[in-house]
Amino acid sequence: MRALRGTLLSLVVLVMLLPVYAMFALSSASDATDLGGLAFDASQLGEHLSQLFAEGGFPLYLRNSMILSLGVALLEVVFSGAAGYALAQLTFPGRRMLFAVVVGTLSLSPIVVLVPMYLVVRQLGWIDSFQGMIVPFMMSAFGVFLVRQFALSVPRELLLSARVDGAGELLIFLRVGVPLLRPALLTLFLLQFLAQWDNLLWPLVVANDPRLWPLPVGLSQLQTEYDFSIGLVSTAALVTAVPPLVLMFVLQRYYVAGLTLGGVKK
Amino acid sequence: MTLAARLDRTAPTVSGRGQRWAEARAGSLLALPAAVYFLVFWVVPFAGAVYLSFTSYELAGVPEWTGLDNYRRMLDDPGFWNSAEVTAVFTVASVVPSIVLGLAIAVPLSKPGRLNGVLRALVLIPAAMPLVATSTVWSAIFADHGLANTLIGLVGIEPKPWLTDEGLALWALVVMTTWKHLGLFVIILTAGLQGLPSEVFEAAALDGAGPLRAFARITLPLLRRTLLFVLVIAVIGAMQSFVPAFLLTKGGPAGATEVLPLYLWATGFGFERMGYASAIAMVLLVAMLALSLLQFGVLKGGDDG
Repeated sequence: MRALRGTLLSLVVLVMLLPVYAMFALSSASDATDLGGLAFDASQLGEHLSQLFAEGGFPLYLRNSMILSLGVALLEVVFSGAAGYALAQLTFPGRRMLFAVVVGTLSLSPIVVLVPMYLVVRQLGWIDSFQGMIVPFMMSAFGVFLVRQFALSVPRELLLSARVDGAGELLIFLRVGVPLLRPALLTLFLLQFLAQWDNLLWPLVVANDPRLWPLPVGLSQLQTEYDFSIGLVSTAALVTAVPPLVLMFVLQRYYVAGLTLGGVKK
Repeated sequence: MTLAARLDRTAPTVSGRGQRWAEARAGSLLALPAAVYFLVFWVVPFAGAVYLSFTSYELAGVPEWTGLDNYRRMLDDPGFWNSAEVTAVFTVASVVPSIVLGLAIAVPLSKPGRLNGVLRALVLIPAAMPLVATSTVWSAIFADHGLANTLIGLVGIEPKPWLTDEGLALWALVVMTTWKHLGLFVIILTAGLQGLPSEVFEAAALDGAGPLRAFARITLPLLRRTLLFVLVIAVIGAMQSFVPAFLLTKGGPAGATEVLPLYLWATGFGFERMGYASAIAMVLLVAMLALSLLQFGVLKGGDDG
């Protein structure tokens, strides 16, 4: 029974991974007629890779995606972290109001405010700039909420003993709060990095200049640019998939923690 | 009540005006960026979206108040109704199999064991891959000489024009979306299943309940909260889905895959009809909220299960 279950499950997972393998096979496809095969040719993949990195567009998209994803993820950690901690542990004027706004924003999504958000960014003069791509996502209701929930479980005595020792509130946040919030901040970093790495809609709207395109926009353009050289486009997709997969495996614990937030009864 | 809060009552407190002032100052400082951010990028845009939905606004001009015209126009707009229908079909067709399959995989996968640990990591791979990358691969899988046609050829079925056939294109997107998110749901459900108290199952086994009966009578009711969470994120995710339709089919053929977010984007940024696009956004938001509330109402029931 156990062995049968294991075999069956393994088979299901293998089928699920078939398209992932197909990505490797396709990256080594030499022309549009051998798409159905599953043969993998490493030398052909190597050739595609050198071709991809030799041409102008792709390395630039990769760099832009790194700037965008790292920028958003780092800003998220700093600012959503600070706000989440403050909402959970400090009493300050406007706290209830801010929390209400955060909870209200949880139910909104970029597609709903796409048009006015674009107008705000245009008003700020940030069309075709990294600020325009990064700043609108530098925080999130989800991030603030996640950190706040986590910070609520920080034992008050820890903060208290620091207060008794006469430490200032900001110092307490940095020395006591941040180390305790580390798991939540790592989860947030990972999820926001992955989200921006895959963000197509917003850069499509605010970045008209190809020199600013991140990978999702660049990749959608490559499909037409290379005139259906599937091998090359699949190689680009493969390279795009590598950083998220590596991050996910290194930080898998935090990834799962982020996914299951709210879904599992504590 | 959390443990920390309970301890708090007995703990001595540092109080007085000095402490209150210090907290107010530090708290305001830490929360100020958030206050500005949410005001500028969410509160103002949301108010703007509501306002713009009652106006006629092309990017070059200024918004002109037209009352309910956008909403009235929507009622007679075949493009809107087509998109609403495509989104509804896409949502139901991708959510239902995702959850059924997810549960079927999660139940055996949640059992302990070394092999299961490995499989749980592997099952997440499609979910961790960027949607843009998977869309690129699947457009090749669905190509004329692609893997999909090779596989159905093995059982003697004629090749099909997956992405260019009006009847098939949406289903091709459904297949890809289901595949992409399945691992995500499996992992969330697995975590939920692992959190269930094992004593209940032991007691049920002692009472002679078979596995199927135990699943229907114990597992499903206890898992309600996790199922609700998965259902809500699946439905909301599907209703907002933009990338697969944009990358695989561009909404075609003949609008067969023109999901609502794609229609909204094209209306706003293709035709620069910002007012009408905002009205569509409002309808999408209300639909998402209403469906979420409905799911809460139906699945939440009377208890806090």
